[in-house]
Amino acid sequence: MNANQETAATQDMIVCRDVHKWFGQFHAVRGITTTVKQGQVVVVFGPSGSGKSTFIRMINRLDEHQKGDIIVDGIELTDDIRNIESIRREVGMVFQSFNLFPHLTVMENITLAPSRVRKWPKDKATEVAMGLLDRVGIPEQATKYPAQLSGGQQQRVAIARALAMQPKIMLFDEPTSALDPEMIKEVLDVMQELAASGMTMIVVTHEMGFAQEVSDRMLMFDHGNIVEDGSPDQIFNNPQEDRTKLFLSQIL
Amino acid sequence: MVANAHSLDSPALPPPRSETGAIGWARENLFNSRFNGVLTVLAAIAIILTLWFSIRWAASEADWKVVTRLGSQFVIGQYNTESACPGQNCAWRPQVGLLLGIFLLGMAWGVAGKSIAKPVALTAAIAVSAMAFVPYSLDRMGWDTRLLLLANLPAVFAGLALARYTPLGNVRGIILAGVAAFSLTLVLLGGWVPGLQPVPVLRWGGLLLNVILAVAGIALSLPIGILLALGRRSHLPVVKTLCVVFIEVFRGVPLITLLFMSQVVVPLAFPQDFSQNSLFRAAIVITLFSSAYMAENIRGGLQSLHPGQAEAARALGLHGWQITFLISLPQAIRNVIPAIVGQFIALFKDTSLVYIIGMLDVVEIGRAFIQGNPEYLASAKELFIFLAIVFWIFTYGMSYVSRRVEQNLGVGTR
Ligand SMILES: Nc1ncnc2c1ncn2[C@@H]1O[C@H](COP(=O)(O)OP(=O)(O)O)[C@@H](O)[C@H]1O
Ligand SMILES: [Mg+2]
Repeated sequence: MNANQETAATQDMIVCRDVHKWFGQFHAVRGITTTVKQGQVVVVFGPSGSGKSTFIRMINRLDEHQKGDIIVDGIELTDDIRNIESIRREVGMVFQSFNLFPHLTVMENITLAPSRVRKWPKDKATEVAMGLLDRVGIPEQATKYPAQLSGGQQQRVAIARALAMQPKIMLFDEPTSALDPEMIKEVLDVMQELAASGMTMIVVTHEMGFAQEVSDRMLMFDHGNIVEDGSPDQIFNNPQEDRTKLFLSQIL
Repeated sequence: MVANAHSLDSPALPPPRSETGAIGWARENLFNSRFNGVLTVLAAIAIILTLWFSIRWAASEADWKVVTRLGSQFVIGQYNTESACPGQNCAWRPQVGLLLGIFLLGMAWGVAGKSIAKPVALTAAIAVSAMAFVPYSLDRMGWDTRLLLLANLPAVFAGLALARYTPLGNVRGIILAGVAAFSLTLVLLGGWVPGLQPVPVLRWGGLLLNVILAVAGIALSLPIGILLALGRRSHLPVVKTLCVVFIEVFRGVPLITLLFMSQVVVPLAFPQDFSQNSLFRAAIVITLFSSAYMAENIRGGLQSLHPGQAEAARALGLHGWQITFLISLPQAIRNVIPAIVGQFIALFKDTSLVYIIGMLDVVEIGRAFIQGNPEYLASAKELFIFLAIVFWIFTYGMSYVSRRVEQNLGVGTR
């Protein structure tokens, strides 16, 4: 890290204070308090149903929290629609099932939000989109439809689509778990390059190789809360919690 | 796998003769078991006998005089009779409407390029122009009528040129031109401009009437159905309730009943001039009836969408209406094209029911003719077979076009 990034990294991008979420009677997220600094790459892992997805979906308010505070890039998430809209412009999201728009070409998928939300002229949106397709390694697929691409290519388009809004934060919800094994690497490589460029990232994943190599910090989730928070080195070599040890022994 | 291993050491041999061509196909599909073989033979005998008897009947026994006798009445009903249009020939007015329709098809060809639009536009233009060569003894058409029919061929190319070489060459241009052409046709038919002899709508008849009602119904019931479907999914209880009540009422009552009721109810809601107009009443009722079904088709399409689609759109910062009109509706409509076209076809056939409020659609023209001319009673079967074929040509055309559109959109594969 150079000095520039060092000072930038002291800025808080995401602050959560005692965040709770209920689905009906079910207490899905139970008092999360944590802070993510600018440029940090955070891997979130833990058993299924532990609230990982809900946690990151609350950060761009796809799910609403019911108690506590979430502050993203200095903007507090409230019911105020203007706040939500500005947050969604700052936060990109990549889903497990890609969720590309099947009736639009790859190019149209990427330029839709920049032209409709950011109101960019067509030329600019297209130019940025081509640059991003280059960056994720599939410039030749611009005029195809999502169904004509492999899973790995689709997920890379989804990443390009999120990046086209020029977000400050990227959220990934198990981006490789719907992929065939031979396609996982091409997606992880794109994410690694993104991390190296200084993007603030929260990645829900069980790709422990990626976590070890790329992340700055790992959060172990269980029963709607963070049970352990540490560097990859600490999590893999010296986990403090029995639940972390048990979970890692099951997946490694 | 076996084929692969094979091709490694020696060139692949062509399959044995019996597996290719017509014989191979028949063996695989028609005679692949003893039971299927028997069924195939029985079906073949039934088809051949049916064809044999129908063709023999149609060619030798049947008396098609009734069809030629009615002639252009099938197309325009009593529009050009002495009582409708006294002292002059008004046949040119519906013919201008036809020209405009063919012109629009030409525009569609220009906009859609190499798609189904081209064969449809060309086929329609050629078929209509060919009517100009119907022998005089059959329909007694004058040279002016024939010239206007022939003009449909240049009309389709005029539409094509307009779409290719002017800024009107896009979907919006077609919609604008369509609305203009339809309004102009109505004004001409009604003679609602100074200098033209007014023709009361009760005199508009034949296929002209069916097509006018169907075009108005189709063009309006799709957008109204979309709004109703969205309203039914609204979070506002008032909007939702209103839409549910509307849909359930119009789906729950037979169209015939609605048409009867329109004579009593529509005058309460609309000014005199309009409600006196049985064409207007029929168009409203048919449109609303069809909209209710359309709404349910589209709602089905909306429900079939993966929730991740709207979620991804929200995550990108698109807001409610943008998600609805850019993401949800385009996909929903694609998914239910067969149901929507089915509804269009049903609507087209249902336009015949306007006989109930005293209008002479193409079927009623025929029925009334037989009733008024008992000497043709024996020809009723020829008449109704002919009418069935006419309807079938239109409805099959619609379903053929929709299948091709689906293929072009790649529905089912993407
Ligand atoms: N929309 C929802 N309605 C009801 N329960 C939900 C909903 N979304 C998630 N849950 C529940 O909340 C818990 C946490 O879910 P999630 O955040 O998806 O877990 P994870 O991503 O860690 O597997 C699970 O028990 C799940 O069943
Ligand atoms: Mg999850």
